[in-house]
Amino acid sequence: MGYFRQVAVVAFKDLRAELRTKEAINASLAFSIVILLLFSFAFDPSEDTMREISGGLLWIVFAFAGTLMLNRSFAREVPNDCLDALIAAPLPASALFLGKCLANYVLVLAVELVSLPVFGVFYNVHWAKQFPELLLVLLLGTWALTVIGTIFSALTVNIKLREVMLPMLTYPILIPALMSAMQLTTALVSGTAIGADNVDSLKMLIGFDIVFTAVSLVLVETVLVG
Amino acid sequence: MSAVAVEGVWKFYGDYPALRDIRLEAAPGSCLALIGRNGAGKTTLLRIVAGFSKAQRGKVKIHGNDPRSTETRRQLGFLGHGIAVYDELSALENLTLYGKLYGLADPRKSALEWLERTGLERVRNGLVREFSRGMRQRLAVARAFLHEPSVLLLDEPFTALDDRAIAVLQRLLREALAAGKTIVMSTHQLREALELATHVALLSRGQLAFNGQCTPEMVADPGYIYAQYGEA
Amino acid sequence: MRDALFSFFGSGAPVAMAAAVVALVASVVFLRTRNFLYDALALAATKTGFALLAAALAAGVLWSRAAGGVWWAWDTRLTTALVCGLVYAAYLMLRRAIEEPTERATSAAVVSVLAFLDAPLAAIAIAWWRARRTLPPEGGPPPGWGTLASGNALAMLLAGAALTVILLRREERRRAQDAERRAALTL
Repeated sequence: MGYFRQVAVVAFKDLRAELRTKEAINASLAFSIVILLLFSFAFDPSEDTMREISGGLLWIVFAFAGTLMLNRSFAREVPNDCLDALIAAPLPASALFLGKCLANYVLVLAVELVSLPVFGVFYNVHWAKQFPELLLVLLLGTWALTVIGTIFSALTVNIKLREVMLPMLTYPILIPALMSAMQLTTALVSGTAIGADNVDSLKMLIGFDIVFTAVSLVLVETVLVG
Repeated sequence: MSAVAVEGVWKFYGDYPALRDIRLEAAPGSCLALIGRNGAGKTTLLRIVAGFSKAQRGKVKIHGNDPRSTETRRQLGFLGHGIAVYDELSALENLTLYGKLYGLADPRKSALEWLERTGLERVRNGLVREFSRGMRQRLAVARAFLHEPSVLLLDEPFTALDDRAIAVLQRLLREALAAGKTIVMSTHQLREALELATHVALLSRGQLAFNGQCTPEMVADPGYIYAQYGEA
Repeated sequence: MRDALFSFFGSGAPVAMAAAVVALVASVVFLRTRNFLYDALALAATKTGFALLAAALAAGVLWSRAAGGVWWAWDTRLTTALVCGLVYAAYLMLRRAIEEPTERATSAAVVSVLAFLDAPLAAIAIAWWRARRTLPPEGGPPPGWGTLASGNALAMLLAGAALTVILLRREERRRAQDAERRAALTL
């Protein structure tokens, strides 16, 4: 069976299981709405304030809500020892990893695309002024979050303090990607297109994605089998 | 060529040797019962043979190949302590999923076939989380046999099975042996295992204390092996 | 006197970078050979680097207060050091969370590789970020920071090397004790 077909089988399995129970996606959505709400109590959102904090706020929400989802990624294989069966199956560890990444990617993006309008409503911000470019940043930044979250989900799958260790590992490593995504998002939400002064952040995001996707694909077999 | 060959395997946890210089062979069509007390290293050894963990020294060969190679994995069936099926999916969805991962020609057809052979065809669309324990175990057996593996590795398979599941498993194992497949089975429940076994290996504190054919005395009195060859 | 102290501890920062390289190489060699000596070396080097970084950060913070009146001025070097420190702190926390020695060593080695790839990216991102923000221009680095060509750096290097060796021996002893303990448990 082709590599990408196997990736698809894993991805669809995760998506089907998640959409049937909706545990993680509901928690993630609820969490993101609560954070957005809490922050709106904290600030008095004037036009200028919003212009400055939008990127930061959005990506904090995405990162925290996303981690809830990513924690489930390999954790869902633990009950009933399903992870053993997946490792024993004749599919490359990288295909298993990629399949899970894709499923996580779709789920986290879905939460983000719902959070954006909520953000717009709570803070009275027109965020869609540069929508195509904003979508690009969302896609790139979420992939960074997904790849790092998924590899660490695999790494921490058998640890007792998994829920604590996953964020502790993920957030510091994500700092370059998050910083870039925040900076780009702030600019785009205020209506400024990506220009000469922003494009380096975009390059950082792309570089980060490429480097960590490649390294994770190589290391995942070691992480899972030892 | 032997179906399963363990060649001088050592497994360390840090500096501590959990398995010491294990040398075993299982010829095709044989059934090897791996016996030992808790902590002797049975599960550790079985997991190394299955390719879940790596031995620090020595090698394992399945039909002459590395257990982690894709071809070998296609021919290996593993039944561990967990049932390895998803609670949120139905029995049919679970088996079809594994059928696809193992590259079967018609995953759905094979899935339906095995649901019948394990007596689960009537609940094929039921979600696994609603199954009784016995049904879950029979589904686990179906999953392990689904891709017609030539080598079956089972970790204490008869533990916690109800009588119906035991009967199903014994029947399937006998059929597999008759078809020339190889079985390596770790066990506590000595009698059900020894009835099927052609060979026996006794593990004691990480070392092989006995490795040879299964004799009638062993089947008649499970404690015989421990008495003869067991812990000093 | 005070400046001399700042200078001394500050020069720990580049030595911490050297320690990170040692940790990376040790981790990769461990993944290749599965020889636990390299795992112990990676741990010792990371702990050393972390300690040096912590001292350098403290010196940087105190200098910042003494010279500029603020505890933290988002200086590029200090901020990068802080982020790297967080990443290596995560490595150390992960090690404590895994019981089984082989799993611990393997997982830690993987994190070490990922952390090392991340550090330069973080450094670049922070430099760009700072250039963008409307902060007072950086008033020069804290004394000793980033400078290798001084007696201080050499002294720090020797201190770091000594600390690494001590920690390495300690980890080897701990591993031997762990093996004895496991042996005793299976009687």
